[in-house]
Amino acid sequence: MSRILAKSRGLLLPLLLIGGWEYLSRQGAAGAYAFVPLSSIGAALIELLGNGELLINLWASLARTSTGLALGILSGVLLGVLMALSAIANRLIGPLFHSIRQVPMLGWIPLIAMWFGNGEFSKVLIVSLAAFYPMVLNTYQGFSHVEQRYREVGHVLALSRWQRFRHVLLPAALPSIATGVLHALAFAWVTAVGSELFLSSGAGLGNLMMNAEAGSRMEVIVLSVLCIGLCGYLMTLLFTLLSRHVLRWRNIR
Amino acid sequence: MNAIAQHAQLHSTPLQSGALQIRGLSKSYRIEGQPLPVLQNINLDVRPGEFVSVVGASGCGKSTLLRLIVGLEADYQGEIVLDAKRVVATSLERGIVFQDHRLFPWMTLSQNIALALKNHPLSPAEKQRLVAEHIALVNLQGFENAYPHQLSGGMAQRAAIARALINKPKVLLLDEPLGALDALTRVRLQHELQRIWVQQRCTVIMVTHDIEEALYLGDRVIVMDAHPGRIKHEIRVDLPHPRDRTSTVLQGYKEQLLEELVGH
Repeated sequence: MSRILAKSRGLLLPLLLIGGWEYLSRQGAAGAYAFVPLSSIGAALIELLGNGELLINLWASLARTSTGLALGILSGVLLGVLMALSAIANRLIGPLFHSIRQVPMLGWIPLIAMWFGNGEFSKVLIVSLAAFYPMVLNTYQGFSHVEQRYREVGHVLALSRWQRFRHVLLPAALPSIATGVLHALAFAWVTAVGSELFLSSGAGLGNLMMNAEAGSRMEVIVLSVLCIGLCGYLMTLLFTLLSRHVLRWRNIR
Repeated sequence: MNAIAQHAQLHSTPLQSGALQIRGLSKSYRIEGQPLPVLQNINLDVRPGEFVSVVGASGCGKSTLLRLIVGLEADYQGEIVLDAKRVVATSLERGIVFQDHRLFPWMTLSQNIALALKNHPLSPAEKQRLVAEHIALVNLQGFENAYPHQLSGGMAQRAAIARALINKPKVLLLDEPLGALDALTRVRLQHELQRIWVQQRCTVIMVTHDIEEALYLGDRVIVMDAHPGRIKHEIRVDLPHPRDRTSTVLQGYKEQLLEELVGH
């Protein structure tokens, strides 16, 4: 019994919030408008599941996030490795990279919209940029902090440059890269929904919210918010489990 | 035992290889533009198959000496010659065991040892057999798939010894290999080092702080002095291996060595 209680401790706060929400929704007409009753949210869920709108929009947002994430991780790791392994590249690219990354993601949206329009390409570009920054930073960090004593073993064993990269530098940098992916994941998801709010064309949870706002359907907005939070949480959870398996050699107690 | 004998035949190197000559070796580091001499005019001849211990106060450059021989430091004056070839970089002919085991934490024990064979033209099956043999040589059977953080300090150090030996190096360099272990484990590993060396008979140079260890294992003990590092004295230990650690002869050498190190 106590073990079940211990396991469900994380549910306590959400349950309290739901209870409080329902209580507030019963405080007159104003309360019912600002805090839509749980029953209408449930009805909206059934309605949107029934007509497929929820899944179509959810799927569009997830696909956009994954594409952008994959592109951002790939290019971020490549640039991070390049900057860590080549002093010339670091001196050439470093200052530019560090100034550009000071511009907040929202600041890019008008410029990208002017250049590339408000279609799919612009949204994926924004998502991949959001994933790109943390990947470059963490990859660079990981590769430039490989302990000298491990590098020396690579030399003593007469490994080639590529073998030293593959068997020494890369695994040593992997924990840092995993941290980068975890950040990139969170940024990419948030930015995907953000770009849908600003560049409102096509499907996506952000568009679902914008349309619901236009039609003053508060319960759909709340449902979208819940969906966004839950999906983000699940993605982080999945990746944490995956990286715990890949990095099982680490001594974490 | 049998497997080890077969292995020795398979990789038979002429017993005469592993002759190390060090002539007029000097090394200095640059600290804020000023040269700081670490080693000055070191001359040392090591016979093939000889076990040489090096003792001395900290800062006498004994670790630097090993790093130069293994090829991790390239910039030096004088000559380091192994079997008529000047040492310019690292090579599988020279193996080293550091005080910290330096196993890669992301590889299992057998992956760590197998990595040393990466550039050998052996078939995967042969490599696997060699790895298993060397794990047996250092008595670590059953821990093949353990990660380094799951091993005790003594076990990790034995794995590091196996990794250094698997390439059949002509010279094995030991940089205070047992310095970080507790007293009991250290005595046990000294015994194992002796057994392994008697089997393999490669040239060994071991740096240590421990006078008894130096005498117990070494055919010769080199005493170094600091600032700058130089050879001060040398004792030949005329006792056959394997040795008895309680022998009165060793006791006599020990007093002689203490006299030399502490000075009166």
